Amino acid sequence: MKPGEDVLTIEEMVIAAHRSPGRGYWIALAIAAAAAIFGGWSYSLIVRTGLHWTGLQRPGMWGNLITDFVFWVGIAHSGTLISAILFLFRARFRTAVYRVAEMMTVFAVLTAGLYPILHLGRPWLAYWLMPYPNQRELWINFRSPLVWDVFAISTYLIVSTVFLLVGVAPDAAVLRDRASGWRRHLYRLLAFGWRGTDEQWRHYTRAYLFFAAFATPLVVSVHSVVSWDFAVSVLPGWHSTLFPPYFVAGAILSGVAMVITILVPLRRALRLEAIITSRHLDMLARLLILTSLIVTYSYATEIVLAWQAPEADPERSTFLYRMTGPYAPVFWLMVICNCLGPALLLVRRVRTTAWSLLVICVLVNVGMWLERFNIVVTSLSHDRLPFNWRVYVPSWVEWAVTFGAFGWFFFLFLLGVKFLPPISIAELKEEAAHAGHGGGALAPGEPGHAG
Amino acid sequence: MPAEGGVIATFVEPSTAAAAMLSLRERGFKVRALMPAAYPDVIAAVGKPRSRLDLVTLPGALLGVGLGILLTAGTSLAWPLVTGGKPIVSWPPFLIVTFEVAVLVGSLVNLVAVAVGTWRGGRRSAFPAAGPFPSDRIAVHAAGDELAVAERLLRSAGAVEVSRVA
Repeated sequence: MKPGEDVLTIEEMVIAAHRSPGRGYWIALAIAAAAAIFGGWSYSLIVRTGLHWTGLQRPGMWGNLITDFVFWVGIAHSGTLISAILFLFRARFRTAVYRVAEMMTVFAVLTAGLYPILHLGRPWLAYWLMPYPNQRELWINFRSPLVWDVFAISTYLIVSTVFLLVGVAPDAAVLRDRASGWRRHLYRLLAFGWRGTDEQWRHYTRAYLFFAAFATPLVVSVHSVVSWDFAVSVLPGWHSTLFPPYFVAGAILSGVAMVITILVPLRRALRLEAIITSRHLDMLARLLILTSLIVTYSYATEIVLAWQAPEADPERSTFLYRMTGPYAPVFWLMVICNCLGPALLLVRRVRTTAWSLLVICVLVNVGMWLERFNIVVTSLSHDRLPFNWRVYVPSWVEWAVTFGAFGWFFFLFLLGVKFLPPISIAELKEEAAHAGHGGGALAPGEPGHAG
Repeated sequence: MPAEGGVIATFVEPSTAAAAMLSLRERGFKVRALMPAAYPDVIAAVGKPRSRLDLVTLPGALLGVGLGILLTAGTSLAWPLVTGGKPIVSWPPFLIVTFEVAVLVGSLVNLVAVAVGTWRGGRRSAFPAAGPFPSDRIAVHAAGDELAVAERLLRSAGAVEVSRVA
């Protein structure tokens, strides 16, 4: 290929991919919408007739809904990690995958943000958590972790959305110049008047660096704040200084697993194997192994510390309950999915084979949901007062809301893929130019080429 | 600012475009470029200093710090209600909110700064009506007195197309 042809090929491939997604796309969109609608209807039962539709009873007043909240915040994590942190580290493999990861982040935060509201007994009063001057001049309590959550999640949503849209602007300009009708208006809006002049690029590259610099500590802070929802309490199994790094590592593990879970079928469905190569998946799999090792170390630390505690210590009792009590299958399945599954990726053949990588990543997603369930539910079920102990079992309504959230997330994501280019055209062009012969991303014979 | 006349050339390779721009600038021509991606060597060859968005973004983040402190401490002092046995102004939890507000305000100010910068950049360095250029090319515009020299320089540097604009 001649250098110039490569740049055009990249552009054509990305644009064609998101313009003509095929029948499978519409079927997937319909399934996602149906799941979301069913989840919404199930939740309406709780709103209309009360929380008795859930399995929540004292002392376990947090169940599936809070588990889902923590899970989706975790999923939202890796988008900004891949986009911002890897940008600051100049990791070039991010180019082909970061747009999908960013879109995933925004839609996962939109999903996670629903849960604190869904969990409220009176969700129509959720605005009470916002700091606004009211009639009684009583402000919100900034010492409450719930309010920290409001600030952390809202900030993360806004910054992630801005980061995504700023990254999209040069690509939207390319689409604007090719589109007609309402699409042209949409892309004109998203392009922010982009023309590609040297003056624009000069400001843009600097601003992008600043966005990455803002987003990086934000990523760490958000899941740390979520962990403090638990850690600032005195409940055994929650009251731990290990929680912030443990939650951040777990969030990155689940987020990277979700990125791979989405990328493997997406690159096939949109015929993007030449751009999202097996090398990209290999690099993401390595990230997965690293974070899985950190999470495994965290599990081990928790268990060893509890084991070393005196026999009558509630912490020890809680951990024994987790491992041997009625929730033991949840605990051991979590260990299998999050520790043993990713360990298989140490074998190169396993991590470079798309289907085996996909299976392991789906298992990690299951395992990370179970981890959150394990943290949220087992500690409440087995608190300091033995007469309180009770096994929580989610009701079908809670399961419907849980699966409805997956439907909501994938519905938004599929719509996003339809309207925004799933890969950054501008950055791929830049990378192609850097490769020297104009075809670094596509050149046959290079490591990671699809062929 | 209206676009001025001159010579426009298109290049395939960023390195050759950058080399051409440098030699044009050595001969006293004013150059500008239009490109499909952020090619650092082309941006550097224009010869403009680094963008000073930090002069806006950093104060924006500091403003966020101030707003965060004002919001947390100010509202707590406005109705001094003790909760959880903690001081009215409890800095450890307030720092969390202050940090989030600082990142939020800093990012939004950065957004406004880049929006203004790119809007002004799009107008100030508007290209003459020789486009649209193929999206795989880098367009270089040279303005000056001896346009024939510029044309020759651009052709010898490897330009794919060279044309004069009024």
